[in-house]
Order: sequence, then structure tokens, then C-alpha cells
Amino acid sequence: MTHSDLHEELASTAKEPLLPIEKKLIAWSFGLGVVLLAILTLVNQLFPVA
Amino acid sequence: MSDISHAADWGRADNVSLAPRISEDWLSLIIGILVFALALAGLANVNLIGWVVTTSVWTNLGQALKTVSNTYGSFGGVGALVATYVSLLVVLGAAAAALKSDLKRFALAFTAVFWIAYASWIVGNYASFAAVTPAELQKFGISWSLKLTNEGGYIFALIAGLIIANVFPRFADGIKDAVRPELYIKIAIVILGGVFAVTAAGKLNLASSLLVRGIAAIIEAYLIYWSVVYLVARTWFGFSREWAAPLTSGISICGVSAAIATGGAIRARPVVPVLVSSLVVIFAVVEVLILPFIAQTFLAHEPMVAGAWMGLAVKTDGAAVAAGGITESLILAQNAAEGVKYQAGWILGTTATIKVFIDIFIGVWAFILGYIWTNHINATGEKARAREIWERFPKFIIGFVITFTAGLYLALATPTEVASKVPAAINEANTFRVIFFILTFFSIGVLSNFKRLWAEGIGRLAAVYFVSLFGFVIWVGLLISWLFFSGVKPPLVS
Repeated sequence: MTHSDLHEELASTAKEPLLPIEKKLIAWSFGLGVVLLAILTLVNQLFPVA
Repeated sequence: MSDISHAADWGRADNVSLAPRISEDWLSLIIGILVFALALAGLANVNLIGWVVTTSVWTNLGQALKTVSNTYGSFGGVGALVATYVSLLVVLGAAAAALKSDLKRFALAFTAVFWIAYASWIVGNYASFAAVTPAELQKFGISWSLKLTNEGGYIFALIAGLIIANVFPRFADGIKDAVRPELYIKIAIVILGGVFAVTAAGKLNLASSLLVRGIAAIIEAYLIYWSVVYLVARTWFGFSREWAAPLTSGISICGVSAAIATGGAIRARPVVPVLVSSLVVIFAVVEVLILPFIAQTFLAHEPMVAGAWMGLAVKTDGAAVAAGGITESLILAQNAAEGVKYQAGWILGTTATIKVFIDIFIGVWAFILGYIWTNHINATGEKARAREIWERFPKFIIGFVITFTAGLYLALATPTEVASKVPAAINEANTFRVIFFILTFFSIGVLSNFKRLWAEGIGRLAAVYFVSLFGFVIWVGLLISWLFFSGVKPPLVS
């Protein structure tokens, strides 16, 4: 791939809609992350740094 | 391949044909443990690396350099510097040979890298740049200083590298064989394991609390950052999956290593993660130049929040740990000026711990993405294999764990006459850690050719990076650092 090909590829907008599996990945990652962080925050309050 | 120096040159990376005998990860582990082991000879009253050079804040250049140990005081400052250069040339030359680099070219390139980088460090230690406290100003007979601390020398090394990259690009190209920030920082992190162990031994409860809180960093980087940045890259900026996934991992997780691991996992063309890695380095430079000073201004009284923030916000191991070092230096100096003297090592240790925790799961995350991509998105391609988790595991972390465990054991479980010698021995290894930091900063600068990357059409990638980093990653990182580390203070110097 030449520099100009790359330049063109990066300048163009993709025509790839989000697939259901991508939506699922995003939703599960974010949801799980928020829940786990909430749990850790609670644990952090219950067991503060020594 | 996790080497930014190769990553930054995408044309060259595509044409690599000879596989090295050993990876850079394993080499960094071996060299880091070698330095650590040589330093530990001091416990048997054998001083093997006391000749390594150290730099003090100076107004008289003749007094700037000396050996770290008085045992080798007869070397003098220049002798110590030459001995340090020769020893590093031999060890890193052997590493270059193992990586199948041209030894002669490496030796010439390393000579330039070492002397320019260390000269920048010496300049950065000039009292008008580095002196902080009123006592220091009085000692050096100056009325004003930039108050960058001696670790402001890292910034000078970074700027020297940036000047070379952007003003003398042909010279930068000529020394690229020795421009290996990932190798240098990984060696430094392995040594840092031992240094942090000695620090942690004094306050084991605090250290273990910090380790537990490192879990929050993993959740944040892999689950929250990744999902939001991927959504932004795909929907707001319209990137294809092949570009969006490595870019998202680069922004969210750990820069270069994560972008390359993700690119490999989803079977992207090699140019994709390599170009993303170049972008990661550029933004890391910007972060290193800005964030430590913001942390000093607003978080001087929350030192551990500042340390954790550097680990969460600054991408690439090198830049993050280096930013932690500068932040520690700035914050300790500011508190010292206010009469509060915190122990050194805790802020940097927090940054390094956060980074190490995040690094551990790169292979696992790459496998998860690889599984989804090869089974649900490009189902006809080669399937992801579980053994890739180990293949992508950053091996230098094993070195960090070994030196940390050994350091902790020696400091806590040996007779007093042995344990009392541990801090001095580790301090000699730590001097090498500082030198590898200097080489890292300089190398990151040399890789940051802004003009060339812009010419490659990186603007839209940079826009995603800018929006995600400054609109989300940095601030969420700050929030989570605050949630888990606010009110936690390093121990005071007794």
C-alpha cells in the first residue's frame, strides 16, 4: 500500500454499519464495566486504604 | 512486535523478513534482572555496579557527575559516565545482535543516542532549571529557578529528541537502530519492581491496598474506555472495523502494545496497527509535556490520585511511567517547599502498578476480540487460538514480579544485617533505571515526526484520538483515580 492509497483510505468514510455482535460487545463491555466499578467503589468505601 | 521504533516506520515494518531469535520482551526481562542481580551482590559486600554515573543539580559542571557509590569515587564523574556508556553499549549491543540488528550500525546509533540523551539530562539538572526549595536556591546562589526538579531533565531529553525528529529527520533516520523506547522502558520497569519492593516493604498494608485498587484500572481501560471509544470511532467518525479496533485499543488500553496485539488478533493489515502506534507516540508526547504539570497544579495534595491518573491517562508504558516519574518529582518538591516531606517512590510505584495491571490483560482482551472477529465478523478467516493469550502476554511483567518479590523477601524476611543493606544495593540498580528512563524519553521524541505523520493522512485518526483522549479518557481516568485514591497519602519521611 502506497502513502497516497493510505491517505485516500483514511480520508474516506467507511460504509460499514454496526453489526449486532459489535453492538452487543459495546453494550456488554460498558454495562459490565459500570457494574464492576460500582461494586469496587462500594468495596473501597467498606475497606478503605490502610 | 511491540517496538515503537519499528511501529513508527510502517513501510519498514511491513518488510521485516528475518525473525529475531528472541523477543524484545524477553530481552528486557533478562537485562532488567541482570542489573538487579548485579546490584544485589552488594548484600555480600561486593560492589559490582557502584561505578554507574549519577547526576546532581549543579551550577559548576565539574561537580555535576559522580559515581553512585563512593567505592568507585576514583573514577571521577567523566570516568563514571564513560564506564556507564561502555557497559550499556556492550549489554544493549548483545541485545541488538539477538534481535538481528546490524551491530556496527547499532553501536554508532547508540553512541549518538546515549550521549545526546545524557547531555540533555545534565542540562536539565542545571540549578536554574532544577532547584526547587529556597534552601537549594540559596545553596546555589541563585534567586530564581524554573523549579522543574532534577527529573525535569527527562523533559529536556524529550525535547532534544523532538528537535532531531522534526528538524533533522535524516539524522533521526540514521540513529533509528538504537531508538527503542519500548525496550528501554521495559528494562526500567523490571528494575522498578525491586525499587518499589523496597519502598513497599516500609508500608506493606498501604502497598497491598494499592495493588487491590489496580483492579479498578483494568475494568476502566478494557471495559469502559474501550466500548465508548470504539463506538465513537465507528459511528461519529465512520471508521471501518479494521481501523476502529486497533485505534480503540491504542487509545483505551496501553498504546502501542495493545494496538499491535489487537491488529494481529482481528487479522488487520500490518500497516493499520503500525500507523495507529505512531499516533499513540505523538499523543503520549503531548500528554507527558502537559499532564504532570496539571497534576502538580491541582493534585499536589492528592499525590496518589496524581500517580494513578498518569497510569490511566497516559498511553504507552514508556510515557506513562515516565510521566509518573516527573509527577512524583514535581509533587514531592512542591510539598517539600510547604514543609511536608513524603517518601519518594509511592507516586511512581502507583503509576507503574496501574500500568502493569493493565498490561497483564492485553493478551486476554486480544483473544476475546480475535474470537469475536474470526467467528462472527470475518468468519471465513483463520480462527483465534487460546495460545495467543500467552504469545501476546508482555513477558517483561514476569521480570517485574520477580524483582518485586525478591526485593520484598530480602527487605522483610532476611536477618537485619542483610536487610539493612538492601536499600543501598537497590539504589544502585535504580540509577540504571533512571538512565533507561532518559533513553526512553529521548527515543520517544526521536520517533515523533509530526510532519511526516500528517502527510500520511493521519488527520482523521488523530481527530478520534483527540476527541476520545481529551474529551473522555483523561477525565474519566481522573474521576476513577479520585474515587479510589483520594485521601491516600504516601508515608512521610521519618
